[in-house]
Amino acid sequence: MGDVLTARFPGGPIPARAGIGLRSAHQDELVARRPAVAWLEVHTENYFHEGGPHLAALERAREHYPLSLHGVGLGLGSVAPLDPVHLARVKRAIERFEPALVSEHACWGHAGGEHFNDLLPLPYTEEAVEHLAARVRQVQDFLGRQILVENLSSYFAYTASSLTEWDFLAAVFERSGCGLLLDVNNIYVNSINLGLDAERFIACVPAEAVQEIHLAGHRRNRVGTRDLLIDDHGSAVCPEVWSLYQRAITRLGPVPTLIEWDTDVPALDVLVAEARKADSFLEKARELAA
Amino acid sequence: MNSRPEAATLAHLQGRFAAALRESGPASEAAIRQLADCIVDDGLEPARRVQVYRNNARAMFEGALERTYPVLRRQVGDERFAVLAQEYRAEHPSRSGDLHWVGEKFASWAALRLGGDGRAWLADLARLEWACEEAMVAARLPPLAPAELARVSPETLADVGLALQPSLRTVTSPFPVWSAWRAGQAECAGEPVDLALGAQHVVVTCGETGLVLHSLPEDQFLFVASLAGGAPLGSAVELGALDLEALPGMLAWLFGEGLVTALRIPTNESILGGELE
Repeated sequence: MGDVLTARFPGGPIPARAGIGLRSAHQDELVARRPAVAWLEVHTENYFHEGGPHLAALERAREHYPLSLHGVGLGLGSVAPLDPVHLARVKRAIERFEPALVSEHACWGHAGGEHFNDLLPLPYTEEAVEHLAARVRQVQDFLGRQILVENLSSYFAYTASSLTEWDFLAAVFERSGCGLLLDVNNIYVNSINLGLDAERFIACVPAEAVQEIHLAGHRRNRVGTRDLLIDDHGSAVCPEVWSLYQRAITRLGPVPTLIEWDTDVPALDVLVAEARKADSFLEKARELAA
Repeated sequence: MNSRPEAATLAHLQGRFAAALRESGPASEAAIRQLADCIVDDGLEPARRVQVYRNNARAMFEGALERTYPVLRRQVGDERFAVLAQEYRAEHPSRSGDLHWVGEKFASWAALRLGGDGRAWLADLARLEWACEEAMVAARLPPLAPAELARVSPETLADVGLALQPSLRTVTSPFPVWSAWRAGQAECAGEPVDLALGAQHVVVTCGETGLVLHSLPEDQFLFVASLAGGAPLGSAVELGALDLEALPGMLAWLFGEGLVTALRIPTNESILGGELE
């Protein structure tokens, strides 16, 4: 396990309550109304720039809410080297916005100089564990802080995989010192797409590693006689995912939980209502833990 | 440790996956098949599963171009724009995990493909949209007070340069690109572009509330463009053939819009005001 890394939390650490993903359509309204959500998360890559209205809006928002930076572009598990320019921009964004949490994905994303700008799955093998853990250590060393690594939605499984997804993530956690960002929607999506045992995933993921949970909606596509769920973050959290979420926080205790909604973004109040729903479940988990 | 078959290594899987995402036409079938050989077949055809990722890769790239060139897209239509996006992707694939800059070469690339049917102005519209994209993410420096210019002695005024906001971009075209851009905004959608309006010269800036596009007469545009290029005031007036009587008004406009951030006084190489390092 890597050295313990610390981070400054000038805006306070993220509480074990519900936050929302801040999207540009809501940035002005959010600062004007300051709805009762506990924290905000943004995609790190959207704030790589020198200036502009979006950066200014985030500067204003972080005066009122703790912040999490969620990366989608590092391609941590790519065999090709990490892009040093991208990594330097992540560090600069961290220095600028001082987030309480920084996260990325257990995925790969580039090869042969081309970036596919998607979260591509890794095989769950010993080789991939070693590779991803080494990359996470490299990033944490460079950033001088711990990052969280998120489980993916997948549309296929590799024949080469020899580990379960939760054992894979647990091994990366053990060998890198990262935290885990548990995306409950992704677990559900994989249960339909790949036959993953969602209950067992929740039961087996190392509880001490989970520092954040994501909840989102997905799209259901019919392919032949089968359903294939597409993780588009474009709708409300479905009942099955809420149910899995309740099981997760019953086991893990209250964990900071994010409502992600990235496409067909609705009115801000819709996101706030989803966050309130998550908060009500977190409150019950808090009572159980007391 | 047992040696692993080559096809199961991380490098080999990512190589196959990349080929399946990258290839188009007949080559794509073989690439998809090679990746499908590495995928669990549970009754849902592996090639159809691979197709989800191919669709995602295409949609992510196309979506980034759509966000950068919304007006061009409305002008050429969704279908034509999608074809252009895929042809552009084949020649200029994404080289970064940050999709923001993926459209950097699109305007010049599209110029070769959009002029054939008498719509050469579309390429200039694309240049204007890229200028907007750059302006939207540039730093904004504190504006300089006009009193600072008043402190410069009249005899050295012609040699003084004005540092302008990093977001300022200039686009000139023989076509009415400002009008085309305006007509392509969502709130004006459907307004026809009157090409008889002729040449337009646009200065793009971005403040805290968003983009501002100024359509200027040619002399004023050349004056601003010359200043932005580093020319001192005297040279900028000459390059723009700006009437000296118009100079106070132009300076008042530049300072009033908060576009001047520093003075460059060459006699002692000093700079008044803030500049990026």
